[in-house]
This record gives sequence, structure tokens and C-alpha cells, in this order.
Amino acid sequence: MAEEKETKSIDQVTVEMIEKAAQDGVRVVFSRAETTKPCPIGAEGSCCSICAMGPCRVPLPKGKEETPEEKKKRTGVCGATAETIAARNFLRKIAAGAAAHGDHGRRVVEAFLLAARGEAPEFQIKDEQKLLQLALDLGIDIGDRSNNEIAVDIGETLIKEFGKQEGELLFLKRAPLKRQEIWRQQGVAPRGIDREVVEAMHRTHMGVDQDYQNLLKQGARAALADGWGGSMIATELQDILFGTPAPVYSQINLGVLKPDEVNLIIHGHEPQLAEMLAVVAQDAELVAYAKSKGAKGINLAGMCCTANEILMRHGVPIAGNFLQQELAIVTGAVEAMVVDVQCIMQGLVDVASCFHTKIITTDHRAKMEGATHMEFDDRHATESARAIIRAAIDNFPNRSQNVRIPDNRTGLIAGFSHETINYLLGGVFRASYRPLNDNIINGRIRGVAGVVGCNNVRVTHDNAHVIMVKELIKNDVLVLQTGCAAMACAKAGLLVPEAAAQYAGEGLASVCEAVGIPPVLHLGACIDNSRILIAATAMVKDGGLGDDLSDLPAAGAAPEWMSEKAISIGQYFVSSGVFTVFGVNWPTLGSKKVTDFLFKDMEDLYGGMWAFEPDPIKAAKLMIEQIDKKRKALGIDKARERVLYDMEMRRELEAA
Amino acid sequence: MDYKVEEKSAPGRDKVEVLGATFEEGRPEVGGEAGKWRQKLGTREEKLKYLQTGERYWYSKEWFGSEKRKNPA
Ligand code: SF4
Repeated sequence: MAEEKETKSIDQVTVEMIEKAAQDGVRVVFSRAETTKPCPIGAEGSCCSICAMGPCRVPLPKGKEETPEEKKKRTGVCGATAETIAARNFLRKIAAGAAAHGDHGRRVVEAFLLAARGEAPEFQIKDEQKLLQLALDLGIDIGDRSNNEIAVDIGETLIKEFGKQEGELLFLKRAPLKRQEIWRQQGVAPRGIDREVVEAMHRTHMGVDQDYQNLLKQGARAALADGWGGSMIATELQDILFGTPAPVYSQINLGVLKPDEVNLIIHGHEPQLAEMLAVVAQDAELVAYAKSKGAKGINLAGMCCTANEILMRHGVPIAGNFLQQELAIVTGAVEAMVVDVQCIMQGLVDVASCFHTKIITTDHRAKMEGATHMEFDDRHATESARAIIRAAIDNFPNRSQNVRIPDNRTGLIAGFSHETINYLLGGVFRASYRPLNDNIINGRIRGVAGVVGCNNVRVTHDNAHVIMVKELIKNDVLVLQTGCAAMACAKAGLLVPEAAAQYAGEGLASVCEAVGIPPVLHLGACIDNSRILIAATAMVKDGGLGDDLSDLPAAGAAPEWMSEKAISIGQYFVSSGVFTVFGVNWPTLGSKKVTDFLFKDMEDLYGGMWAFEPDPIKAAKLMIEQIDKKRKALGIDKARERVLYDMEMRRELEAA
Repeated sequence: MDYKVEEKSAPGRDKVEVLGATFEEGRPEVGGEAGKWRQKLGTREEKLKYLQTGERYWYSKEWFGSEKRKNPA
């Protein structure tokens, strides 16, 4: 368990709003965390509650070596060992995370099919090129067919990926050939997205799979069904429907809220509603309606991954990341917070009851007691969005005098999809990862790191993200980010090109300056970690850096993780060959064998492994060590130490 | 695009005309159309062609990367 943190956040805006919450007598996550401590037995994965003979707690003895006799007795009532219990708990987290991303993907395919069939007229094919790309991937006839005809075939093919019982997920073919072979050899190529989740749930039911290695193998399979399945499907179809992200400038932090406008925050994960709100908020009639209520306009801001989706595509500003959701309401200036699914704290309703804010749920899968439910219907998207905005406007006159919007917002550039990185590096006529690979080979860029994931109230908000990323870029590691991690670094001013000169090592800074990119690239929402998989695959396929993802000088991290989705993401990165380090705490520490399997043995099987290090500097060092290990294996470790000889030095050498 | 031609003095010769910079000077403006590169590709043919060149890693057989194999995995 990570040590108790001293400060709540490194973000002054967050600190200011925590203080306001205390003054107003409002309980938020930061205050609740002081009174509700984490259960140490559950935290290490040593509590089993899957049957009514338990819950059984089998914690690892603290402060002493366990004798073999003691270890033998450390079982649940049914005889389940600490290994089985820890592995089952771990697999259940993966299953929940993969289910969340999978169900998101399924909803996107459903909306996509409605749009393709003309049944959701407000949604259209925005990115024909990505549509054609998927048609090529899936072997769908292009010819002279209309975009909608092609889209129907794509949607019908991809919806089957969820219920498929045999074979392999179609997007596995996008991975490097060697990686595909490894998955087949290990028997973890996922068959269908739902099947792997259901099998994981079955195998973790009382009295089924009781071999920790076999349980963790299914963990790899279910997680791959997330990264190369549910998540990838969501990303790709969202790009077709709403546009593939390209660089866009915006701003972040609670200072994006406006004192004289109707503030509407969109929070959650699936972008359909958010996209429609972004369009409808500019509607002259609604703006006039807002003015009739005394506001100067309608101000839309995002929160969590929904924020990333509309930031990447529309430049809509971000109010904050996960731990700031309640604090946005504490400003007293939010008329409505519209939520859909995932990472929505139930505490929001309680906080909102202290102000005038309306919490509006919009998805039948995610309702909240005390919130207003306004179902979002893809078929009548504009109508649904307009009703929600009107509800927010109607609430504007109820705003009290107790308003404090922190005067603080930071600029950022987002929108670095794989396609855009490829284009930026090579241009329209020869888009290419070659310049990136060349700069890795010549050592200007030491390697690439994905720093992703959540916030966690058990550690100082944003701190580990920012420290880790600064350490990485200082050491010439190019950082790719998604989710709340990207927002943390954006607030710290790392997502602008100027950050290269200020924080990056000389080599990385020179490349960033030449290409005109920040040293930290924002690739989108957590679902868009699939973009990192594709970018890494492009690096492999371009050549010169081995022939598998595990050959790349690359590493991953989630230093402030909290959700089960993060575990699923980590597991699909590790199973795809990437060294991945997590902070905060580690959920299998109750079993040394399970932890060793994840931290060591997985490397022999998959070329990637997990690590746990709560100290962000030490964690960054582990990543850099791993990157250097890969550089050495590729024979490019000398490039970083190279000396450039001028003519005089050459003459001296020849004379010697 | 309009090409700019500059006059330069060359060793052993008089002035020669050379092609000037082909990039637009200054920094791109933030917002608006800035960064919207995908709109440069107009027709379906252009888009398919781009996929074969730009995304050749997956959609072209005419290139040599790390995975040129006789027998696909
Ligand atoms: S399955 Fe076994 S270890 Fe788990 S709660 Fe039941 S008896 Fe306890």
C-alpha cells in the first residue's frame, strides 16, 4: 500500500475548491477518503467473497516470513489457496474492465448501424477515409457502393465480434505477425468479446478454475478482447462517425467555467450524446433562450473521458479529471452535469443537493437515485440533446450567490491519433513513422512511453502523473497519453510544443521542435489506448526496431490507477509485449506466486510483464531501464553514446 | 501553390535563380481549420491511394518493412 499522502493535490485549483467544499460543509471524495480507509486485506487481493461460506480473508502475514505450515493453512473454508483467491480477484477485475470497454464498443456499433441505415439521421459518416480503411481491414467490398452501404456491412461484421464463439477477433490481424503467433502459441487469441468475459466470470465462480496460471491465462485472453476488440472497435467507429482527431488547441481546468453563462458539464465515456450537445449548444434559438433567462450564452465543458472525446474532435474545453468531478459542482456555477456511463461518483448527487446543480443521467444502464433521468435516444439525438440543454438553461436563475470559479486554466494541444502522428511525421505524400524510428535508432529519442489511467484519492492528485512524465521526457522518452493522466499533464503545461524546450532532454526537444509537436502527445480517452497499440504496431512494421511489439524500446504506466478498466488495459498491454508499471497499490500482493507470475513469468510467455512501484521517479527509472534493455537487444544502445567526429578528429585518428 | 523564386549569387557564375521556401512562413493560427489535414483528401480514389501509401504498413504489398515474409503468419 502506498504511504499516506501529505497533500491532496498538486493542482492549486483543486486545493482551492477542496477548501471551498470544507467551508460550505460539503463532503467530497477527498473528505470521505479521510474517514473511510481502504481495507488492507481486500487491497492485496486476499479476500474472497464469491460464496456464502465466506467471505474468507487470507492475508499475507506482515513483518515476518511465512512458514510452509502457515502457508498451508492460509486458505478459505473451501480450501482455496491465497493464489487462487488473488488470481480470481485479478481476473474478475479484468473481466469487469473488458466488459465496460466492450459494452461501450457495442453501443457505438449500434449507433453506427442506426446511422448507416438512416435510422439516426443526425449521425452521419464523417470520415470516409477511416470507413474505407475499415472496409479494407474487414475485407468488405468498396467498389462504387455508397458510404452507408459499406458502413452497414462494417457494422454488421463488427457487431458479430461480440457474440462470436469461435475463431479469432478480426482486429488481431492488425498486430505484428510475430505477436499474432505468440498469442496463438499461448492459446490466448480471443474468440469473441463477450465469450471471454463470460468465461472469465464462469471460471471465477466457486469451485471452477483453481490453477492460478490458468486463471491468469484467461486474464490475458479477456484483456486482449478489450484492447484489440471492444476498445478498438469503439475508437474506430467513433472516428468514422465523428471524425478522426487532428491537432486542436483548447484549455483545461475549472477556470473554463464561465460566471455569466449557463455551464453544462458532460461527464462519462460514450461520445454520442456529447457530440450532439456540442453541436446543439451553438443553436441560435437555444442561445437566445439562455439569454432570456439572464445568461450570456451556453458554455459546454467536459469531464473525464467524454471530455477527451469532444476535446479531440471539437476543442471543447475540459473542466477537469476524475477527482475534480464533485469540485466542479462546488464552484456553484454548474447548472447541469450530464452523465452517461463509467467513473461517475455516486457522491455527485449529494454534492449537487448543496447547490442548484442538476445531475442528469442519460443511459438506462446507469441511473442514480436522486438524479433526473433524461434518456438519450440515438434515433432522436438532437431532440434529446435540446431537452437536456433546455433543462440546464431553466436552472440558471436558481444559481445562488455562492459562486467561486478559480481563475485558472491551462492551454493544451490534443488530437494526436495514430493517423495524425503518421501524417505529421511524413506529410500527405509519404506519411510515415520512419522519422520516429530513425530518431529512436540514432538515439535522439530514447524510447516511447504510454502513461495513462485514472486519478486515485489515496495518492496526491495528479502528482505521480506529472512527476513521472517530467522524468521521462527529461530522459528523452516521448510520452503518449490518454484519459485522466493526459489531463493531469495538460494542467501542468506539458501538452504544448513549448514544453519541449522547458522540460525535455536535448534529443527529444530537437525532434519536437523540428516536427512542431509537444513532448507529450494526447491520444484521447481511455478507450483510445487502442490507438497506442496501433501506433506501436506501425513502428514495428516500419522496420528497424525488431519485429514484435516486445522488441520496441517502449514501456507503459498507470501511476494513479483506480478502476478495473485500468487493470484490463494494463493486462492487454502486458499480453501485447509491453512492460507496464502501476502505482498506488497492487491487488495481488497477498500471493507471492501470483505476483511473481505477473511480474516475471509473463515476460517469458508474452515478452511483457507487470511491475508495481508507487514512487513515480523510481517507476520512471524502471521504464527507462526497460527501454535501455530493449535498445541493447536491438543493438542501438551505442547510438546514444555516439561521438560526432569532425574532420580534424578523423585526421588525428588516421594518423594515430 | 505559388512558387517563390529567389536570386542568389553562385560561385564562378552571376546571379542564379533558385526555388525559395515552399512552406508558409510564421506559425499556424490556432483554431478554425488549423490542423484539419484529413480534409485535404477529396475523392475516394485519393483516400484509397493515401491508405496504400500513408498506411502502407497494412494496406500495401509494395513496401519493405520488418515483416516482409513469404508465408504470412
Ligand atoms: S469460495 Fe472458498 S474462499 Fe471464497 S468465500 Fe467461498 S469458501 Fe471462502
